[in-house]
Amino acid sequence: MTTELRIGPEAVWLGRTARDKAEAVDLCGRLLLRLGAVHPAYLPAMHERERSVSTYIGEGVAIPHGTDAARTLVERTALAFVQFPQGVDWGAGNRAVIGIGIAAHGDEHTGVLAALARVLSDPAKAERLRGAEDAATVVELLAPVGAEPSP
Amino acid sequence: MSSINGADIKKVVVACDAGMGSSVLLTSQMSSSLSPHGVTVEHASVDRIPADADLVLCHSSLVSRARSTRPGTVVVGFQMFMGDPAFARVEQAVRAGETIDD
Repeated sequence: MTTELRIGPEAVWLGRTARDKAEAVDLCGRLLLRLGAVHPAYLPAMHERERSVSTYIGEGVAIPHGTDAARTLVERTALAFVQFPQGVDWGAGNRAVIGIGIAAHGDEHTGVLAALARVLSDPAKAERLRGAEDAATVVELLAPVGAEPSP
Repeated sequence: MSSINGADIKKVVVACDAGMGSSVLLTSQMSSSLSPHGVTVEHASVDRIPADADLVLCHSSLVSRARSTRPGTVVVGFQMFMGDPAFARVEQAVRAGETIDD
């Protein structure tokens, strides 16, 4: 078993702006870089992945990440939360207010993504996450949900 | 076209391009609805779907790649990561022991 990942305040950027999806993906990648999670070459892979299938998942949230081949550029598993209060056009009529950059080796981030899925299926909590005004709110809402035991 | 009876589904694999984002998110959701029925849910890259997968769920744009990785296995595509009718279809087949095909 791997150690479970948590999102800490250092992985939260609030109140950012991005002109378009590419700039938003870049910001998510830059936060992953700052967290020491990825090699700089991971960022182009995030754009490549975004061109093949959009990472927009619904409820104003996108989860940009690299390709399978770019896994070798991941130094350590991390998530990077970036909020765009004005929203970013994510294509296909979707508008993202939150971008969560993902760099993953293994399954350490499962608990946080499970928490994200739970938050987004609850309209009041989803609104709290989109409108978060401090990192503590994000940290609290995305505290990992107990992962299913692996077989 | 492949088909399987929901009662014979023991392992569902959620596949995506990299196997680190959307498939992880969906695995946690599908697992909470399917594990009470004795079904294991795992995630994988679409090019590395395990051989013992009974049913594969992936974004509709990846369905043909999933089929070429695992010919003969039922591959169910979805459009939306949240609330797509495909998830309810798989759950229904497992719960009621109904046949599901692609």
